[in-house]
Amino acid sequence: MSTFREGQNQAHPNKSNTLILALILILIMNVSIQIWLLYTALNNALAQNKDIAIPAFLASLFLFLIGFFWLYYLPTGAKKRKVKQNVNFSDTYH
Amino acid sequence: MATDNKDNHWKEDFPIQQLEARQVTRRDFAKFLCLVSGGLATGSGYVAAKAHLFPGEEVQGEHFVCKLDELPVGGTKSFVIPGSMIPYVLIHVEDGELRAYEQKCTHLSCAVFYKPGTGKIECPCHNGWFDAYTGEVLAGPPPRALPRLDVVLKGDDIFVTAYDGTSEQVQS
Repeated sequence: MSTFREGQNQAHPNKSNTLILALILILIMNVSIQIWLLYTALNNALAQNKDIAIPAFLASLFLFLIGFFWLYYLPTGAKKRKVKQNVNFSDTYH
Repeated sequence: MATDNKDNHWKEDFPIQQLEARQVTRRDFAKFLCLVSGGLATGSGYVAAKAHLFPGEEVQGEHFVCKLDELPVGGTKSFVIPGSMIPYVLIHVEDGELRAYEQKCTHLSCAVFYKPGTGKIECPCHNGWFDAYTGEVLAGPPPRALPRLDVVLKGDDIFVTAYDGTSEQVQS
């Protein structure tokens, strides 16, 4: 039975390409929202409106955790695949 | 098989061994984004902790600044409160009112100056403008109003205290 990881490693490169692009776009979006949250929390805290600081921190932490576990879906690429023969390719082409 | 007279520069951009690669892979870039995300979450946590656990101390008591006759109409006087490093500016606005603000722009902490005759405070660094009567931002990049002190006039002496938002305007 194929696991998720084996299936992902056997997927067509086009599919892996699309997946990694989507992952990076989501991460960029998360980071953008976090920058906005930090900017807002800092400005409000400096203006003595500190009530927004904790909700902004919790939201930022939640976005980080999403991004962190999101990395599980990152294709591991060829280096994690099992190589049956240990061939040094760098010596083959000169 | 490649021969010596062929252009083999492609090997520099697409090396067979991962360790020889000089460009950042998308996988590493995604991990770096996650690291940035963790840094931003930590920063937000620091802001929340500092705001709730270590709030800035307010000015305690009344502090003498100067005599009224030392401050002509339209004039300003910079001062610091003993025990603090924060610079303040006392402004004698043209209609006779006295105002005191922190002399640090809320944008990037440049020194701000009262522009005589305009009723406005200017930050020359990035062309930021504040209302000299309220400290509110009128134009430019500053994100917040200038922190303010209350001015108390006792005879000919000018004192400042913490701003409580309810004090009446002081006229000279």
